[in-house]
Amino acid sequence: MKRKLFTLMAIGVAASMILAACGAPQEVVKTVVVTEVVEGEVVERVVTATPEAAGPMPVTVHYNWGTEPPTADPALTTDTTSSSVIDSIFMGLTDIDLETKQAIPALAESWEATEDKIEWTFHLRDDVPWVRYNPTAGEVEQVLDDEGNPRMVNAHDVVYGIKRVCDPNTASDYAWLLYVISGCEELNTTDPEAENFQEVYDAMGVEALDDYTVKITLAYGAGYFPQVTTMANLFPVYQPIIEEKGDRWIEPGFIVTNGAYVMTEWVHGDHMNLAKNPFWPYWGTDYGSGNIEQLVGYMIEEDSTTFAMYENNEIDTSGVPSDQIDRVKADPVLSKEFVNSPVNCTYYYGFVTEKAPVNDVKVRKALSMGIDRKTLVDAVLKGGQIPANAFTNPLNFGSWGGDPEIAPWALPEDMGGWGYAKAKEEASALLAEAGYPDGEGLDILLMHNVSEGHARIAQAVQAMWQEAFPGMTVSIETQEWRVYLDTIRATTAIEDVPHVFRLGWCGDYPHANNWLHEVFNTEEGANRIRLSYDDPQVGDLVKEYDETTKAAQVADEEEAKALYKRAEQLLVDEIVGIAPMYFYTTVNVTKPWLHRSYDPIQLSLFQWTLDMDAKTAAMR
Amino acid sequence: MTRYIIRRILWFIPVLIGITLVTFVLARAMPGGPFDFAGDRTIPASVVANLEKKYHLDWPVWRQYGQWVLDLLRGDLGPSFRYRSLMVQDILRQTFPVSFQLGILSMLLGLAIGIPAGTIAALNHNKSLDYVSSFVAILGVSIPNVVLAPFLVWIFGLRLGWFPVARWGADYTQFIFGILPPLTADFWLHAAMPTVALGTGISASIARLTRASLLQVIREDYIRTARAKGLKERVVIWVHAMKNALIPVVTIIGPLFAAIVTGTFVVEQIFGISGMGQHFVDSVNNRDYPIVMGVTLLYSVLLVIANLVVDVTYAWLDPRIRYD
Amino acid sequence: MTAENSSQGSGPEALKPEEELRAGRSPLKDAWRQLLRNRLAVASGIFLILLTLVAIFVDTSIFTIFTGGKPEPLLAPYHYAEVDFLHPNEGLFTRTEEGDFYIFGVDYLGRDILSRTLYAARVSLAVAIVAATVSLIVGITYGLISGYSSTRTDNLMMRFVDFLYGFPIIIFIILMQVYFKALSRHGGGEGLAGTLINIDRAMGGIFFLFIAIGLLNWLGMARIARGQTLQYKEMEFVEAARMVGASNWRIIGRHLLPNILGPCVVYETLQIPGYIFLEAFLSFIGLGVNPPTPSWGIMISETYQALRTYPHEVFVPAVALTLTTLAFNFLGDGLRDAFDPRLRGEV
Repeated sequence: MKRKLFTLMAIGVAASMILAACGAPQEVVKTVVVTEVVEGEVVERVVTATPEAAGPMPVTVHYNWGTEPPTADPALTTDTTSSSVIDSIFMGLTDIDLETKQAIPALAESWEATEDKIEWTFHLRDDVPWVRYNPTAGEVEQVLDDEGNPRMVNAHDVVYGIKRVCDPNTASDYAWLLYVISGCEELNTTDPEAENFQEVYDAMGVEALDDYTVKITLAYGAGYFPQVTTMANLFPVYQPIIEEKGDRWIEPGFIVTNGAYVMTEWVHGDHMNLAKNPFWPYWGTDYGSGNIEQLVGYMIEEDSTTFAMYENNEIDTSGVPSDQIDRVKADPVLSKEFVNSPVNCTYYYGFVTEKAPVNDVKVRKALSMGIDRKTLVDAVLKGGQIPANAFTNPLNFGSWGGDPEIAPWALPEDMGGWGYAKAKEEASALLAEAGYPDGEGLDILLMHNVSEGHARIAQAVQAMWQEAFPGMTVSIETQEWRVYLDTIRATTAIEDVPHVFRLGWCGDYPHANNWLHEVFNTEEGANRIRLSYDDPQVGDLVKEYDETTKAAQVADEEEAKALYKRAEQLLVDEIVGIAPMYFYTTVNVTKPWLHRSYDPIQLSLFQWTLDMDAKTAAMR
Repeated sequence: MTRYIIRRILWFIPVLIGITLVTFVLARAMPGGPFDFAGDRTIPASVVANLEKKYHLDWPVWRQYGQWVLDLLRGDLGPSFRYRSLMVQDILRQTFPVSFQLGILSMLLGLAIGIPAGTIAALNHNKSLDYVSSFVAILGVSIPNVVLAPFLVWIFGLRLGWFPVARWGADYTQFIFGILPPLTADFWLHAAMPTVALGTGISASIARLTRASLLQVIREDYIRTARAKGLKERVVIWVHAMKNALIPVVTIIGPLFAAIVTGTFVVEQIFGISGMGQHFVDSVNNRDYPIVMGVTLLYSVLLVIANLVVDVTYAWLDPRIRYD
Repeated sequence: MTAENSSQGSGPEALKPEEELRAGRSPLKDAWRQLLRNRLAVASGIFLILLTLVAIFVDTSIFTIFTGGKPEPLLAPYHYAEVDFLHPNEGLFTRTEEGDFYIFGVDYLGRDILSRTLYAARVSLAVAIVAATVSLIVGITYGLISGYSSTRTDNLMMRFVDFLYGFPIIIFIILMQVYFKALSRHGGGEGLAGTLINIDRAMGGIFFLFIAIGLLNWLGMARIARGQTLQYKEMEFVEAARMVGASNWRIIGRHLLPNILGPCVVYETLQIPGYIFLEAFLSFIGLGVNPPTPSWGIMISETYQALRTYPHEVFVPAVALTLTTLAFNFLGDGLRDAFDPRLRGEV
């Protein structure tokens, strides 16, 4: 009997071992396991890294990516983590100046456009090589061309990179972002098996005029195009490695990049490390002013855990969980390391303008006025956020956030607005006019996706509305994220949508077009608030809104700003399609030996400086 | 007995097919597909259609399932929808061992503490030793992981600095045979707090069950006979009583093993351990169907094996149990 | 057999000696007496009764059901949704300038923690009791039948359990959420669906929560019950009963059930904190109570990150939860002790 049991146990253990992959026993040395598809079979090649030579410690920053990056392929990135990684190891045509939010040269030295802003010509640098990291040698090496010379990034790589996003074979989620380029939409919707596929591919409006000049033809005039080219999706990529390795080309040891850093190690789910690319031409200039030589990046999702690691000196910079903010501000050491920095995102509540009773503009305005944004930001959120009276975040070109000429009732007195007391009064008057004195008879459903932060805000707003309009009923419902997005679509049946839903928007590129036009345009935007020209109250205003944002696309700077001002006025104050709540900020603590910027997408790692001596002294 | 085992193993196939087929269908029944949204941006229908075509989501469901089974037989679980450069089998290979290690350690801790504690309590029924150990056990069950884990991190990690506050002590590039950890000091240091966080709840459950069960068994006639025969008390308890008393314990260990080993979301999240638990939850939220299927398959396989082991152990513990 | 003096005296209720012997002591009365001797169990029982009273009288809703109108807080000093933006996160024994006194402090929205904890007793108690009952009934029945049946039936039944076990719960939860919430949003209707929806609305969204938890939890109970049944059905007294001609149902009900009840009840009481946390998890995912209705699970999961900064926000509901769990456990133990036919007779 006992023997049988023993046999069974042995089988059980063996079974679980069989579940694991077969591999040669590995010693405890830092290895890079490189998996390749060799003739259709997956084969593992264990590559052992040579131990580093002893010497002065390289300037190393310990960082938290926050989660496993879903991809490192520029064409496939849709989230901020992947973008942060790609921004660090690749370089695109242009970059954003963190102060002015204007486009500055990166891979492209200069560019010009035709009058109608449709044809753009970019002139590229010729001294940016493709590089890869060699794990056995432990160094960065340049990719060589057939003659043994370093292979520089050229116009063909740019063209390939951009067309690849529109290519339906790549299956890029963000292809539609590039529909501004002529021929991209056609290419993206053509069946790869179709006869004319190659034709459509060639006809797309991106071509290399010579080895270092790229001409891009747009589908319509867009003055903001140089800011679009800062997005990771348009970065150039190295064709030969993609054709050789397929989906796996982004693995360390294979990946070929052209940016300030290279990927040295990527242990999925655990960490991704970067090292300085000495061949990047911008080192030593204003643009590449940093001194970081190595980055060790963890993938911790939990805020409190990240913060604990920071306190334990295991990482150099971290976010502060909202519940710890008070403690950090009061702590003598941590308060000095505390940084509050704006983020290019806006939090808002949208109204489904076709659903009664919020189909009445007076009701919408009263509800928007009834939110005490200052209290929300000071007492509930406590992260130094800024009350929002407009949709476009102040970090964007064309934003009017904070200007009391727009929806002053949303701003507190110290920002030049009416303050909540006066706004509440006005709101009650409006509601009475609309037929709901003190909110009597008003039954509102507020929905948001599952998240502790959203739940807090929703409950706070619910309390504010109940206090301001005692007669109304406010119920809150939560849904899982994707179910939620599916529910609030513009096409969902009206009984199934709530009256008010919560959303946030973060800019893809820092221009108001990305906000006012691409989100709320009745045709081209997602239009979950269901703006329509046929609305009996505000239909005309909606039409004016669409026309205004369209005109701003080709207007010159001053004119565009004025147009955007009018658009915000319409959206927030006259149509009241949304109730903007606040502009995001990031709350960070950073060790005193690290100087960094705080834009979460444009990581700009190459501009960070770290005092390695101070760091090693503190760790001792 | 052998025939019984063989028959049970033959049952694996229909059960697994049942589970995977139902999961396959229901996963696709959830509103919101994997490609409909990126962040909170709605992806235009043409792009979605394109993506769905690439991953054969436009095929009829039965055909998709059939393809999945065929690929499975070749050892290919498909590419993840979210992590496009990784195959599901890679993801499982990378994350399962971590959860497995943590799970085994916690279970061992749970058994090592729970069984003796429960036994002591039962043997000292209604005396102070019983009350104390019962109280501690119930306390262990009542404190949620979500409070215990950060508490441990605060005291032993930050305040005392004995243990690192996050991450696992080894990653998949270092595992022996792909699943066993290198037993370095670094490994044990990282494993300590998560194991305690997870193991206390388990040991409390086991202690309570052992106590309840042993209390009943001790009063049975054959125990009285054994004592009357003059056997030493130690022999009576450990050789005769324990085997039967452990049956309820064994019952919960089976499914518990499968569940623990496939990752506990909360502990892994709080300690920043990249195990399978996160994939259980995230894959459903992301509608990453291939990972959902891979994870479900692995969990089900472990479960049916564990249940079989449990049932066989029943028969070993109590010879009166028969499976004809 | 314990001898007990059954002198009932004379009078209309006096039984004839033979009847007396046959009637004997009712097992129920015996058990009750046994239970009363267990001080911890009694204390726990009293605690739970008090808790139930608190849950009922925390506000005036038990009266407003009949009289109509909005319920006002009764035992609780404040309403659970009453916010105070001026004083978020204040600690124990806070007295504000406006004259409010918060014994256990307030949470991030300035809501009184004592009041919320008392209101939360309703949800947590209801979930625990209903879910445990459903799970016990379904699980024990299933396990008894499976364990007692022939191996083939047992096999089939257990494979079905395996099948349910292996199924990823989260998918199930999301689908249920979608289905039920969609149902409820289409307003009250006619027939069974309509009635269910109205009940759910009246209970703040927790009715469907009970169904969900019950459906998800009887599996473990079934396995335990089956394991116990397998053990006991081979015993002599079962053999004996069969020889005497007892039907299967009688054996199951009269002989097996009381024996397996012990570990089953203990197992179930161990599940109760799990139910409360499952409820918090489900609420988190959208299938639970709608905010701002409080439950201990939600209160803890909302505030555990602030453990170091505002510990009172976590500890008050955690202590409430622990005390309740302790009570259920000691009571469960006491019940098992009281009902065990072998423990009876030992004093």
